Amino acid sequence: MGFRHIRLRSRGKLSVVTLQRRTFSDCEFQHNIQSSTTETMRTVPFVGQFLGRLCWNPYVTADAESRSLLLQSLWSLYSEEPHNAVERKANQWIRNLLCQLATEEEDSATHMLVKHMGLPPKEYNLKVLRKMVWLLVEEVGESCSSLADPNQRCSCDSVLAASVACVPLVTCPETAPLIGALLQRPVTCDKAALSQHFLDAVTSAYSRKCVSLEAQAVVSLWCHNLASLEGAVMSLLDSVLSNPASIPHNLEHTITHSLLPKACSQHGSIFLIVNDIFRSMLVQVEGNQTVLYLIHTFTLCFLRELAALQPQECVSLKAFFPHTPQSLLDPLLTHPSEMAQEAWPEHLAWITASLQRLTEEEEEEEGNRGQCGVFEAWFLLVQCADWVEVASQLLVSARPQDCGPLLWLLTFYHHPTNREHHRTQQLVAAREVWDHLRSLFLLSAPPLPADRLQSLAELMSAVPQQPSLDSLLVVSLLVNFAVFSHNPLSGAGEIVRMVVQQSGLVREAVCVLDMVELRLNREGSSSSLTDRVKPRARALQGTLTHMAQHDTHTLTHMAQHDTHTLTHMVQHDTDTQPLWQRWDTHTAAPGCSTNQTL
Amino acid sequence: MEAVVKNLERTTELLAVSQTEMVQRWDKQTLDRAFQWTGYCEHVYTRFRANPNVRDVLEKQLQVTNERLRTTFQGYTDITFSDLSRCRHLLLVGLLNNAAVPSSVIQLLFDTSCSRNVGDTSKESLGHCTELIEVKSACKVLSAIYLKRSTSFPGPDADVIGTTLMEILDILLSPATGGSKVGLAEKLLDNILQTCGENENFSGVVAAALLSRKNNKTATTMASEGVSLDFILDWLQQHHSVLQHMCSTLPIGLLMNLYQQSVRFRVTYRDMLKQWGSQLEYDMGEGEWVQMYTTNGVSFKTLSDHYRSLLGACPSMKEDVESELTELKVADGDFDVRGLSVWGDLLSELNKV
Repeated sequence: MGFRHIRLRSRGKLSVVTLQRRTFSDCEFQHNIQSSTTETMRTVPFVGQFLGRLCWNPYVTADAESRSLLLQSLWSLYSEEPHNAVERKANQWIRNLLCQLATEEEDSATHMLVKHMGLPPKEYNLKVLRKMVWLLVEEVGESCSSLADPNQRCSCDSVLAASVACVPLVTCPETAPLIGALLQRPVTCDKAALSQHFLDAVTSAYSRKCVSLEAQAVVSLWCHNLASLEGAVMSLLDSVLSNPASIPHNLEHTITHSLLPKACSQHGSIFLIVNDIFRSMLVQVEGNQTVLYLIHTFTLCFLRELAALQPQECVSLKAFFPHTPQSLLDPLLTHPSEMAQEAWPEHLAWITASLQRLTEEEEEEEGNRGQCGVFEAWFLLVQCADWVEVASQLLVSARPQDCGPLLWLLTFYHHPTNREHHRTQQLVAAREVWDHLRSLFLLSAPPLPADRLQSLAELMSAVPQQPSLDSLLVVSLLVNFAVFSHNPLSGAGEIVRMVVQQSGLVREAVCVLDMVELRLNREGSSSSLTDRVKPRARALQGTLTHMAQHDTHTLTHMAQHDTHTLTHMVQHDTDTQPLWQRWDTHTAAPGCSTNQTL
Repeated sequence: MEAVVKNLERTTELLAVSQTEMVQRWDKQTLDRAFQWTGYCEHVYTRFRANPNVRDVLEKQLQVTNERLRTTFQGYTDITFSDLSRCRHLLLVGLLNNAAVPSSVIQLLFDTSCSRNVGDTSKESLGHCTELIEVKSACKVLSAIYLKRSTSFPGPDADVIGTTLMEILDILLSPATGGSKVGLAEKLLDNILQTCGENENFSGVVAAALLSRKNNKTATTMASEGVSLDFILDWLQQHHSVLQHMCSTLPIGLLMNLYQQSVRFRVTYRDMLKQWGSQLEYDMGEGEWVQMYTTNGVSFKTLSDHYRSLLGACPSMKEDVESELTELKVADGDFDVRGLSVWGDLLSELNKV
């Protein structure tokens, strides 16, 4: 209640000043500034007393925000050039108050002792604070004593009281260990819940980056408080999507830094919630390259954290992916680097066959239950998109009789829904693109056939009425052909440059190329393939970036459009109920609700 | 050495000036420099506090400077060598009490914009006072939390003082500083006793000092640990009443901690218990052992409590203690009748449970 008063008072003074600024001249304005302290003292006479009392309240002075507000209020009462006795007195009072606050020594006996020890007061206070924190941390870390002896009264409710008392200390750096200990205390008895007020304070301080908690404490915070977890996911999405130019190089770093993968690996429920938010995101912002890459990279980070856990803590993967059929789970979660490159085509054929079977089964089934399985399978494919990239790579060197399953996989990845049975037409279009590219990159002589280039560019530009092929698919194939083909580099670069320039998809091409490079780096082992391919990729990177710099107009436009859509989504209710709007426009999909119980 | 003396002189002048009207022209740079100089003085103090020769030289120089400044500035307070330990604080007090300091400078001290990390003891002046207020308020908030261990004796303030005391003693008594300064150390302990007076503070501080080794993970070699501990115990032996007061008022748990930690203390403590026992007399009328002659002894019940905890805390020494009591009982005649030997009665009391 007290602080509203302070805010009102300072706002009141500000409005007086603004009003007068509009109507008076300079010297009169200065006169009014100076008299405003007197004004204030006349209109609100108790303000001095009130502020003075607040200064001695440790709960007000311990919290960073209220302390700064308090000092601000005091300074606004201070007049640089006092004009009358009231203002002079106010000045003197403020100076005395500040002096007392900073230099008062409470206990004279302790004060003398400290002096004998040769400790400066500030250092002494700091050491005492650290000792207190240390003692409390030890005590909070003890588990509930009623487990051992049911008759003994446990001290858990005093821990709850401690958490309430620590609310103003959330921003103090020295007390961070105590905040962490409170968050990580095992919740074994029902009296040991932390106060909601405390959790909210920590959440808001963490989102403002005013508190330095260690990783485990943050994970515990998310376990206690769903809102803080959602806030963290949203801020990750926000930071990634508002800065698309930095994708995908910093993506992994940003994701790991957010601590979300670590939390997901330790608590399956957190992973399920995060995935739910990702699902809603995907459905509302369809076809966004950044979101797809984000989900893929996130899953990679998560799997890495999971592998790094101690063996006894490992839960079976089925618990993390409860909705996908087991037959798809194992093949997709196996990373391409875990098997020989020669085995890739067969593995992909197996995956494609499973997916085809799944989609056919569910299309035959009447009603809405069907769509869920397909969506879940597609979502898993997005999470394990390395296989899609492998498919693109294999398409470069595939023979015409082998390209079928690979093209199907790519088409499915970019067009998961089979609205009005367009898939057959899309497959035909994809085959056409592939043929074009093959003829351009593998068969043609140096003078490039302009008509083929033209038709390729046309295929990439969006034609809303017809069921057109996703431009991302074409770009991705194009880039893969350029990198992995045996065409001389200059020729490949020229083709890419011309096609991309005509269609205006420079940023997308840069992204695809980055992802290819990152995947090659991840696979680590240097084979003859990677040795040949890496310089090509780097050279192409140079060409495209050069183009991108001339094309900044398009870039910013794209970024703005995406951020707008996504901010719109972010502001929506982030309920755990995903909205399968696009899947079946006729009926909702009740069977798909992914209500998880924690 | 010359440089140090000169710098001290300049800083003393600075402190004097900070309390006059000349501070009107001070700005951020001046303030920062003032902070740096006072920090330097604090460092000089830490460096030379255990070195009496250098200390004397510096003290003499300070006196000369004091005389000079006393004539120049009215109301000047002298600066001694020990004042140098809190030089920055003195600067702060001088500035905050001086109405002539421009408000912009004060605002710098109370600035709320900068954020710091844990353990970053900033040497800058910006926000210095804000940090002070934050730390003090945090202490007050935390002391209001009543959890079992945090309200135990000795409190955190006594603990900090005790730990610092041990650190100082280590420095004073270690052979590295060129011979032990037993005299200085004794003077220190005498000073502390005088400051504390009659109250509990002293026991708390000394207990904290003796126990500080337990929690100190970065302890130096075993030898130096023992030296400071033994020194304190020796000093306590010489001030017997203090020792007695300590043993009778400290919580028994604390005494047991000390007992487990230090061999010297065991001897001292058991001697003390024996002394207490020998002061008890049997009162026929009451049928109890009471204190007849001295006023600051302990009751029979307290004595038996002490012995009971002793037996419980150190099972390995249990036989030792029991045999000692038995010996004393035998010396008294080895009767099993109540009221004849305090030791016999103690033994039967202890064996009852």
